Amino acid sequence: MRPFFAGPFLRLLPVGFIALSLQRVLFAHHPVADVKIQLVLALVVAAGAGGGADRGAVAGFVLGLLYDLSGDTPLGLMALAYGMGGMTAGSLHRFTPDPQWWLAALFATFGAAVGEAAVPLIEVITGQSGWVTTDLLRIVPIVAVSSGLLCPLLMPVGRWMMGVKRKKWKAIAE
Amino acid sequence: MFSSLSRRRVIALVVLTGLLFITIDRNGNPVFDRARGAVATVLRPIDTATEALTLPIERAWFGISNYDDLERENEALRDQIEQLRGNDVEAQSAIIEYRQLLNVLQLTSKFDYPTLAAQVVGESPSNFQNTVEINVGSNRGVQKGMPVTDGAGLVGKITEVYPERSIVRLITDPDYAVTAQVLSVDEPVTATTTTTSDDPDGTGSSSSSTSTTSTTTTTGVPTTDPVSGQPISNTTTAPSSTTTTLLEVVRETGTLEGQGGGKPLLLRFTDSTSSVTSVKVGAIVDTAGGNNSLAPQGIPIGTITRIVDQTGDSSRVVEVTPNANLRRLYFVTVVLFVSNADAVGR
Repeated sequence: MRPFFAGPFLRLLPVGFIALSLQRVLFAHHPVADVKIQLVLALVVAAGAGGGADRGAVAGFVLGLLYDLSGDTPLGLMALAYGMGGMTAGSLHRFTPDPQWWLAALFATFGAAVGEAAVPLIEVITGQSGWVTTDLLRIVPIVAVSSGLLCPLLMPVGRWMMGVKRKKWKAIAE
Repeated sequence: MFSSLSRRRVIALVVLTGLLFITIDRNGNPVFDRARGAVATVLRPIDTATEALTLPIERAWFGISNYDDLERENEALRDQIEQLRGNDVEAQSAIIEYRQLLNVLQLTSKFDYPTLAAQVVGESPSNFQNTVEINVGSNRGVQKGMPVTDGAGLVGKITEVYPERSIVRLITDPDYAVTAQVLSVDEPVTATTTTTSDDPDGTGSSSSSTSTTSTTTTTGVPTTDPVSGQPISNTTTAPSSTTTTLLEVVRETGTLEGQGGGKPLLLRFTDSTSSVTSVKVGAIVDTAGGNNSLAPQGIPIGTITRIVDQTGDSSRVVEVTPNANLRRLYFVTVVLFVSNADAVGR
C-alpha cells in the first residue's frame, strides 16, 4: 500500500491550488443570479462520488483548508463544511455498487447542497450568524445544481486526485 | 491510509480536526497566520497565470455579448460625468469650509490621516463573505482595522494583513459594523439678538441677549456667506435688534451593519428617544468618529433610502444605500487610521 502522503496528498495539493485559483480568478467574477458557483466544492463532491465517503471527507477537508488559508474565514470552517459535503456525496456507494454517471451527479448535487449550507450554519456555531438568511434558499440550490452538472466532468479528476482506479472504485462499492 | 483506518474513524477525525482548528484560530494563532501567508505566496503566481489564460477569453466573450450594453453604459456615464463636474465645484467649496470649521473647533477628521492608494486584485470566492483583496500590506504600513474608501465613500475595513497584500471586509458583510451619524438640517430656528446701548460711563461698551426657540440638543449653525463669513439668511436689522435664522443641524449616531452583498446597510440608532423622527429619506450618513470608532469622523457612507417601521421596537432602524459601488471596485484608498482595539465594530 502506498502511504497517503506519497499518493493522494501530493495530487490533492496541486489540483486544489489550480481549482482554487480558477475559483478566485474566474468563477468569483461571474456569478449566476448573484451566486458564485463553487468549483472547489464541485471537485470535492466529484471526488466523493467517485471515491466514497471517506475519500470525499478527506478531499473536502484538505481543499477546504486551502480555501480557508487563502481568505479570512476561520481556519477549519470551509474544511469542515466541505468535508461534510464530500462525505454526503460519497455515501452514494452505500446504496449502489456501480453508480451511473447521472446517479453520481445526483449525489454530488446533494453533497454540494450540504457543503454549501453547512458554511453559514457552522458560522452560527462559531459565533458569526449574519449569513443565515433567506438568501440561502437562492444560494444553495444554484451551487448544488451547478456542482451536479460539473460532476461528470470533474469525477475523473477527482478519482485521479484521490488515487482511485476504476477497478478499485468498483471494489469500494462491493 | 483509507484501508488502514475505518470509514467512521476518518470522518470523525476530519470533523474533530476541523472543530479544533476553528477553536484555535478564533483566538488567533501565529502558526496559522504564517500558513496563510505561505498559501498566499504560492497562490499569487498561480492566480497570475490563471488570469493570463482566462482574461483574453473573458474579454472576447464580453466584447461579443455585452457590446450594446457597454455602449449605452458609456453614454450614461458621460452624462453623469458632466453632472458631477458641476457638483464637484460645489463640493470643493464645502470641503474648504468644512476644514476651516474643523480648524476653528480643533477637531480631527479623515483629512488629518495619511492615505495609501491601492488596487483591488481579487475578491472573495465564497458566497458567504463580502471581501476584496488589495495589493498593499504591512510593508506599506497597513494594519488591521484601518478604514478603506474609494472616491464615493467608505468601502470597508482591513481584516487580514500580509506583507504585500491585505483583505478588506466590505461594509455590506454581515460581520461588519461601524459607528455612523446622520446629519440632517431640521426646521429653521429664529434667534433674536437684542442690542441696547448701555454706555452710562461713556466707555462705548454694549450688552446683548439672545433667545432661540430650539428645544433640541443639536448644534445651531448660522448660514453664512463663504466669503465674508456673515450670516446671510433672513437677517433683519433694526436699530436695536437682529433676527437671524439658524439652520438646526441634527446629529444622530448609531451602529451601521451590513446585511450581505446587494442589500442596503442597516443603521440602528443609539438613542431611541431623541429626535430621530427628524431623520428623513435622503439624509446623508457618514462615519461618526470618536475614540471607539473604527474610522475617523466624516467619511461619507451613503444616503438613507428607507425608514424601517419596527412595531413594538423602541430602537429606530433605517436602511442606507452605500455611495460606493461595491460590485465594481478597482482602486481604493486605505486611510492609515489606527482604530481602538475596543472598538464597537467587529
